[in-house]
Amino acid sequence: MDVPQTVTVALDDRPVAGRRCLEAGAGAGNATAGLLANGAARVYAVTNDRDHARTTRRRVGRDDGDGSDGDDGVDESDGDRLAVLEADLRAVPLPDDSVGVITAHGLCNVLDPASLSAVAEEFSRVASPGAQLVVDDYDPLPDGAAIGGLFAVENAASELARGRPALTFYPAAFLRRFFAGHGWEFERERTLLEPVPWTESHVSAHGDRAVSMAKEHPGEPCDALAATARRLATDIGSESVGRMYGLAFRFPE
Amino acid sequence: MQTRPLGDTGHDSTVMTFGAIALNWLEQEGANQLVEHVLDYGVNHFDVAPEYGDAELKLGPKLRQHREEIFLGCKTQERTYEGAWRKLERSLNRLGVDAIDLYQVHGLEYDEELDAITGDDGALAAFREAKEQGLIDHIGLTSHGDPGLILDALDRVDDLESLMFPLNPVVAGKDDDEYDYEAVLARADEKNVGTLGIKAFAGGSWPPTDELPESDRPFANWYRPVTAPDEVRERFDFAAAQGLTSVVSAGDPKLVTMILEAAADYDGMDEAAQRSLIERVRHDDSPVPEQLHH
Ligand SMILES: NC(=O)c1ccc[n+]([C@@H]2O[C@H](COP(=O)([O-])OP(=O)(O)OC[C@H]3O[C@@H](n4cnc5c(N)ncnc54)[C@H](OP(=O)(O)O)[C@@H]3O)[C@@H](O)[C@H]2O)c1
Ligand SMILES: C[S@@+](CC[C@H](N)C(=O)[O-])C[C@H]1O[C@@H](n2cnc3c(N)ncnc32)[C@H](O)[C@@H]1O
Repeated sequence: MDVPQTVTVALDDRPVAGRRCLEAGAGAGNATAGLLANGAARVYAVTNDRDHARTTRRRVGRDDGDGSDGDDGVDESDGDRLAVLEADLRAVPLPDDSVGVITAHGLCNVLDPASLSAVAEEFSRVASPGAQLVVDDYDPLPDGAAIGGLFAVENAASELARGRPALTFYPAAFLRRFFAGHGWEFERERTLLEPVPWTESHVSAHGDRAVSMAKEHPGEPCDALAATARRLATDIGSESVGRMYGLAFRFPE
Repeated sequence: MQTRPLGDTGHDSTVMTFGAIALNWLEQEGANQLVEHVLDYGVNHFDVAPEYGDAELKLGPKLRQHREEIFLGCKTQERTYEGAWRKLERSLNRLGVDAIDLYQVHGLEYDEELDAITGDDGALAAFREAKEQGLIDHIGLTSHGDPGLILDALDRVDDLESLMFPLNPVVAGKDDDEYDYEAVLARADEKNVGTLGIKAFAGGSWPPTDELPESDRPFANWYRPVTAPDEVRERFDFAAAQGLTSVVSAGDPKLVTMILEAAADYDGMDEAAQRSLIERVRHDDSPVPEQLHH
């Protein structure tokens, strides 16, 4: 697969080659592919979503190692370098001091503050001395961004259905201080995307998610939210707005 | 309009090159007007080929009137000595000029063609004779083929002074070697060979002809072009920001003014915005339907 430029730029000044890596929140497998392309000794790609685990194996496992298609459900079908683990990042299934690189590429925005704190504790636990931490995420959207309305509806539906927001956009400066508070030394910040292209596929996926969460909680307010989400997704189509940043930290020896 | 040195030719090309194929779709009077319009923006590099229907003939009158203002690129798809001489003479006749500034091997696609043009009886032998006789000034090559082949050509043809090849955000987002035109750009820069970008405005392929017959396509391009002014501008900025000497305008005359405007206003594109565009088009044809992140 093609490694997205965001990942390429987020990693290109980081020492990845030969290191054991934790890709926290495997998602679409983008950062996993980037770590492998940069010569990682081994990548533990962790996600709590079975479909994402499967997607990562299918998209990334195929290109790596022995050419097996990686879609046979066996975690380590991809040569020796990739292990996709289905697990909760609040309890990472790896020993203390065991990884030299941690990537959180587009992860923090799907973690509410309580989960973010728990996950950060785990990062500090599994990081070996001298480890790298790469945190790529989105600044809060500027006022007037149409897609901000859709995210608000998605969050409202999520709050009603699950008692927590679906998305939280942490400012770069916030995560910088937050991870410093967990013992990480800040090394640099980059702008990965500006503006951020929220394409039709992003917008409709967020619309669909808002609708499905609204449906988990029957009742009038949720029907209204679902209808609003549908309308907003259609009206917005696509929008390029906001900034995606890349932070890099180092764990002291 | 900004200009950039076209490799070692000594010519500074405007950051937009006029793709004169656009003239093929106009009557002579409209063609004359379009050439004047393009010159009004300060464009000083034109590109044409005998394969573009009547474009050579329709360019002729205004080219002769403004010969000193125009650096003229033309091409031949002939691979042999004889064929290239014949086509060159034909183009000179049809254009009605004494000399062509840049004569290019057109549309190189296969290894055998590279062997053919570089052989004793190959097209390049004719190019070199024509150069000695003052009929052409510089030698170039164009290809929408394999970047590896273009790199080989760059290695094997010592007197190559320009290359024309595709470059756009769709191509830039793909990692496979078969799309690695960035490597061509880098090597051409090292060797101080001029670079001309095509397909900057390609949006995708046309629907299959059973869905949309060729005669119902709204644009005369081989591919579906981007057509909104903002998109055209972004595509121009992207191509120019890659460091090409010049970006060739698209083949449909309806797009030319938008491209001229973008070229006239060009003042760089920062890297985060370039990535933003690559990401956007990557998602447009993403194999993963529900890709939530960049
Ligand atoms: N033989 C012909 O009669 C001929 C040839 C080219 C274009 N055209 C016409 O010109 C129109 C505009 O071309 P366009 O919009 O594609 O390109 P464009 O970027 O708008 O500019 C024209 C370029 O298209 C290229 N092209 C020609 N054949 C192609 C092919 N099979 N696949 C991909 N690219 C090709 C040509 O490049 P090269 O010159 O390097 O091939 C030409 O420089 C087309 O609709 C077509 O009808 C006709
Ligand atoms: C938006 S994706 C990240 C994109 C991904 N890093 C990439 O490069 O393609 C977020 C991922 O984090 C996972 N995730 C969210 N909370 C999690 C948790 N508590 N434990 C494990 N995975 C979690 C989601 O399932 C999803 O796979």
